[in-house]
Amino acid sequence: MSDLPSDFANELSALTREYLRSLPTDHLQFCANYFQKRLQSQRAEFVLAQQLSSTNAGAMATTNFPGSNPFGSSPSNTAMHALQEEDETDQMTSPTASFPSNYNLNRRTSVSAESLNPTSAQNDNWAPPFHQKTADQWSRLKTAVSGNFLFAPLDDDQSTAVLGALQEKPIPAKDIKVISQGDVGDFFYVVENGSFDIYVNPSGKIASGPDGLGSKVGNVGPGGSFGELALMYNAPRAATVVSTERSTLWALDRVTFRRILMDSAFQRRRMYEGFLEEVPLLTSLTPYERSKIADALETRRYPAGTTIIKEGDVGEAFFILESGDAEVFKRGTEQPVNRYKKGDYFGELALLNDKPRAASVVSKTEVKVATLGKDGFQRLLGPVEGIMRRNDPSKASVESVDPLAS
Amino acid sequence: MAATAIKNHLPSALLPHHRESSPPKDDPKPLQKQSTQEIHEEREQEKRLVSQWEDHKLALSPSQVSQAPSQKQVGQSQRHLRCEDFDLVKTLGTGTFARVWLARLANAKREDRDKVFALKILRKVDVIRLKQVEHVRNERNVLAVVAGHPFITTMVASFQDQDSLYILLDYCPGGEVFSYLRRARRFNEHTSQFYAAEIVLVLEFLHEHEGVAYRDLKPENILIDAEGHLKLVDFGFAKKVDDRETYTLCGTPEYLAPEVIRNTGHGCAVDWWAFGILVYEFLVGQPPFWDQNPMKIYEQIVAGHVRYPSAMSPDARSLIAGLCTVDVSKRLGNIKGGAKTVKQHPWFKGTDWDALYHRRVQGPIVPHLRGPADTRNFDEYDPEPEGREPYTEELRQRWDASFADF
Repeated sequence: MSDLPSDFANELSALTREYLRSLPTDHLQFCANYFQKRLQSQRAEFVLAQQLSSTNAGAMATTNFPGSNPFGSSPSNTAMHALQEEDETDQMTSPTASFPSNYNLNRRTSVSAESLNPTSAQNDNWAPPFHQKTADQWSRLKTAVSGNFLFAPLDDDQSTAVLGALQEKPIPAKDIKVISQGDVGDFFYVVENGSFDIYVNPSGKIASGPDGLGSKVGNVGPGGSFGELALMYNAPRAATVVSTERSTLWALDRVTFRRILMDSAFQRRRMYEGFLEEVPLLTSLTPYERSKIADALETRRYPAGTTIIKEGDVGEAFFILESGDAEVFKRGTEQPVNRYKKGDYFGELALLNDKPRAASVVSKTEVKVATLGKDGFQRLLGPVEGIMRRNDPSKASVESVDPLAS
Repeated sequence: MAATAIKNHLPSALLPHHRESSPPKDDPKPLQKQSTQEIHEEREQEKRLVSQWEDHKLALSPSQVSQAPSQKQVGQSQRHLRCEDFDLVKTLGTGTFARVWLARLANAKREDRDKVFALKILRKVDVIRLKQVEHVRNERNVLAVVAGHPFITTMVASFQDQDSLYILLDYCPGGEVFSYLRRARRFNEHTSQFYAAEIVLVLEFLHEHEGVAYRDLKPENILIDAEGHLKLVDFGFAKKVDDRETYTLCGTPEYLAPEVIRNTGHGCAVDWWAFGILVYEFLVGQPPFWDQNPMKIYEQIVAGHVRYPSAMSPDARSLIAGLCTVDVSKRLGNIKGGAKTVKQHPWFKGTDWDALYHRRVQGPIVPHLRGPADTRNFDEYDPEPEGREPYTEELRQRWDASFADF
């Protein structure tokens, strides 16, 4: 076989594959049909390639297609597999017509931001910069960023750190370019007062000459913001922004923003992992498993006096107390039988069985808990029984002969 | 063969080799004790190893691939190889700080003339300027570890000289899946399944055997080899993460996972998200989240609402929905069972995963090639710009230690 031309050998092996798939009774008819189909496919593909090469400058592959045509909607499809694939062609053409037709079909460039490394962050005691603001300014800033999806998911602590890091930037006169189209971008801006015009040059960057800015596409005033892509990575600015009067901006740079998010996520994960290490039921989790559970824990806040779990209810989730105090009550007693503080956990037996809660837990102050349901736990790691069995040798030997355990 | 043997034993002085006279200064790791003769012999040995690597090319099982990199025939750092040992034939691709060339051994022996490679050349000065030192180190080290996997580009060797880093890879003459996809507009289900399945095997191996997150899955980074199988290339963002989350934003806008955008820490689960986007793009012809303004793409991604063409098969829809799940604790591939849950999804019904791994399943596109060095499936690129910044002695002092692995 090795002396045969490779495309011929490909044809033969494709035929063999098709043959083995159908195991026909009439070998010759099957082969004749197969090659007839292949010939049609190849001719149709050739025509398509010619059509495309006249519109498409890039050199493209000449290919052969053993078996079925790999392309869903090429003309050869209807010619070749009129019966088999007709419905499939319909399927994929009409419904997609409603999708944006201006999709950029070129190669997409990878993007990457500065390397962020939380382990080194621990050593250099980094703290985000803090710039004083009045209560009015604070609430205006909060409103200004509230509609931005990058800020919306921040919790109170993160939000405080991010808003605190915004730095005032006076723009002393009109006609000052704050950002220039095509330049690298490191800052996001919120307008405190004044006004800015936005220009876009269709060439992608500022040109020289009187019309170099391109055409004006908009204006941004107090409470508005611009340049948010700079909070993701360093990409060329998409527009030029010019002051139309004396103004004031608030500026936030990417590294500060992403580092605030990273540090708080990192600390929360390590805190959760630390809490999880204390739960006896979960001592045999590997670090990898612990980090998966920590990632899945959900934060919830309850005001003082909330019954977090109720005696007698079916337990479905377990809880770790992240901050605040809670008390444990049993039916028939006035006084709490126990108290929980930061790092304590409760309700963990719900992971193991469906027995009713043995006591109620009520928040004494406002509390923050991290919680995970039994279904969430099992989805990630499977039943907790299997995990407990790992460090119990008596049960491990049972497991090794249990044909159902895996 | 006899002629080769004789030639190999000729005194080095008789060999037409320009390396003889080059001073040892461009050797980054000079060894005092070695004579020119010894260096020459070692270098010839390295060239022989490189020219013969394909003789050892068999698909290794995942555990064989994972053996200590130092035990492998391929993926070694070679101390004496130089750029001058290769003829650069044609540019196959370019990036911001690297260029990939079709290359063959310079002054190749007759039987080696058909042996071609893809040589990726990275300029040290650009790598440093673009803050990619860490990524480049990760790339080489991950490639060394994964060399031998049937669907990952094989790093045959790596080496360096005064101002550049070199990664010698196997050449995939079929070109990018991207080119086929764009030309065809979309793939049919059969073709999409085949390519998706080979990628699943790659992700399973990277995540579960190596603890590596790839982080830049897209059709541009998937090549088709001479036999019609896939090769994942460009490990510039690949990172060994094991059980720790990582924070640096990197990837391609349309393929970024929500947790990368929100900077809450990410791991291997980002590849399963991107895999869902990839399957969608195969079937529909464009990714699910798109807008001219990248911030609007990110807003859509974080919201995670995927729109499906009305006629997309329910199985395909269910697979994509499972993968493109914002909550990582519910994302297919990241939940208990890992890659196995993806392989068992009904969309992959009928896939013989073992036959697929061992390349016994014929691919839907087998490139039609004139020979092993045919480059018709690659686009044309502009020549390399002149006048690069020099890699100064100062930079060398500061950075060369970081490149010691090459």
